[in-house]
Amino acid sequence: MTDLQLWLSAVEMGCFFGMLALAYHLIYVGAGFFNFAIGPYAMMGGLCTSWLVITYDLGVWTAATISVIVTLILAIVTELGVVRPVQKRSGSGELPALVAVAAVLFAIQQLAGYVFGYPTLPGQSLATFGPVTIGDVTIQPSSVLMIVIAVVTFVVTAFWIRFTRTGRLLRAVGDSNHAAALLGLPVNRIRLIAFLVAGFIAALAGILFAPKAGVHSLSGLAWSLSGFLAMVVGGTGSVWAPLLGGMLLGLVEVFLPYYFGGQAHVYGMLVIALIFFAFKPQGLFVRTVRA
Amino acid sequence: MTVKTSTVQLRRSEPRSGLGGLILGAIAALLILLWVGSNGYKQTLVMSAVTYALIALGMYVPYLMAGSLSMAYSAYAGIGGYAVGLISTKTGLPMVVAWIIGPIVAAVLAVVLGLVTSRLSGFFLAAVTLLFGMAFTAFLIDAESITGGSGGLGNLRPLNLLGWTPTPYQMMVISVIIVCLTAFLLDRMRLSPWGVIVRTMRDAPRAVEAAGVRVPVLNLVALAIGAAIAAVGGALFTYTAGSITPETFTLNVVFLAIFMPLIGGSGTPWGAVAGAVIAVELTLNFPALETSGTLLLALGVLIILLVAPHGVIGYADKLRTRLWASLRKEPHGG
Repeated sequence: MTDLQLWLSAVEMGCFFGMLALAYHLIYVGAGFFNFAIGPYAMMGGLCTSWLVITYDLGVWTAATISVIVTLILAIVTELGVVRPVQKRSGSGELPALVAVAAVLFAIQQLAGYVFGYPTLPGQSLATFGPVTIGDVTIQPSSVLMIVIAVVTFVVTAFWIRFTRTGRLLRAVGDSNHAAALLGLPVNRIRLIAFLVAGFIAALAGILFAPKAGVHSLSGLAWSLSGFLAMVVGGTGSVWAPLLGGMLLGLVEVFLPYYFGGQAHVYGMLVIALIFFAFKPQGLFVRTVRA
Repeated sequence: MTVKTSTVQLRRSEPRSGLGGLILGAIAALLILLWVGSNGYKQTLVMSAVTYALIALGMYVPYLMAGSLSMAYSAYAGIGGYAVGLISTKTGLPMVVAWIIGPIVAAVLAVVLGLVTSRLSGFFLAAVTLLFGMAFTAFLIDAESITGGSGGLGNLRPLNLLGWTPTPYQMMVISVIIVCLTAFLLDRMRLSPWGVIVRTMRDAPRAVEAAGVRVPVLNLVALAIGAAIAAVGGALFTYTAGSITPETFTLNVVFLAIFMPLIGGSGTPWGAVAGAVIAVELTLNFPALETSGTLLLALGVLIILLVAPHGVIGYADKLRTRLWASLRKEPHGG
């Protein structure tokens, strides 16, 4: 584990998983459930950008902007069109919401496959500078952007949650939808904001990560699971916890295949999921409430 | 006194024997078999529908009766399929053995996975079982010496039942009968005391536990039955297709299997069968919509979830009970 190039790769993966986990975290804090459609949002961001650039010869930035808007629309449709009506009808039961989210996940994948086709498309890098060389480590411009933007995203989100009015409302609503509604807080608007911000972060993550290995319409499911796992491993106690969970998964994803062969990371993910879900479902960081 | 009358009414409104479903299902199956005839393409369609139906029926037990969404069914169907493949290519045992061993192995695995995940529910259970499905596919690719790697197993031996080798058409008829029997038995089971306990456990696990029923054991039994049924589906599909690869049963199949009962109607196992037929019709037999069939299906599921939570059979059933009631009134009135 001394190869710095591998560590760099792990950090990059970690940043990606961390951003996905942050998106999960925001929706969990705001709406109190796990939105498994996060992975497909990221896939939509990455795949739509690549498709627009390749098919219509658009500039990367224009394509990325359009993709982000498309993803935001998907996020709004998920909340207003599916999750809210289903939750309203089924009350506190978890299963209907889970099935509804699975249907959304599946529908977005099929939509992407239908519109953009089924082959893997290469990611488009937003960076215009060349590779950076530090010592004997070469950092691709896309990796630089991924890491820098992930850190910026986390800093901004932490600030937003902690210091702004909307951030405080988000936490209040997340603690108890019911109590917040009784207090006259705009529960529905805050939930929608949570979905929008999460959709934005996921789309951004997808666009930034696509150059690493390309993106295709079925990438979303694996990304959803990785993001969910990263969030559970990190815990919901702090905004930074998802980043830590993501980093841990990034290490697993990079070093296990390196030492144990191509598919080892899949087994690793399963083992981590079993261990954490069984023994520490609350994650590494837990918010302690003073009594 | 009031209690008594209400139970009588409850009984009357609920079909007691499940025979009605069986008759309707058998008629539908007969029509489908007549429609197929000797057309080879239509036979593969029916076999796909049979496989989907069995996987969906397998999921029906833990998912709609016990209320836990386990998504490892691609693995269970794969075990059934690989049992057929391995027995056929690596051993000289009669092929029937595969149909017995596959479901047993799948059931045992389901129990082991169920024990490990016994504390999980909802999203966590779904995530772990999805990861399990992925890990199973990875294992199939890795264990090349056993499973043939990503190329899978092919050139399977034909079945030989005491000197009789069924033709593809006979095999299809047998498969359709298996589906109808499974749906019928599950329907009976749903209405049996055991089924009532399992369904109560879904809605009020603490009450059932307090009444002296071991909820975790019941859960495991439901999972094992479901896995065994899905393995039968996988075995039938592999046998008629003549080969199996790690890509035969993907996670897509699992998602479709969750949606099928919703499309058809989650009130009865026949809903899963109806959903499977509709799903195959949409995804495979719609030349004009070749690529968008699955998309249509996904969007259809979302609409059904929002508008008609009881599915196609739910509506048909409402009509039927009304019809029944009006028919019953006539002799009494006259």
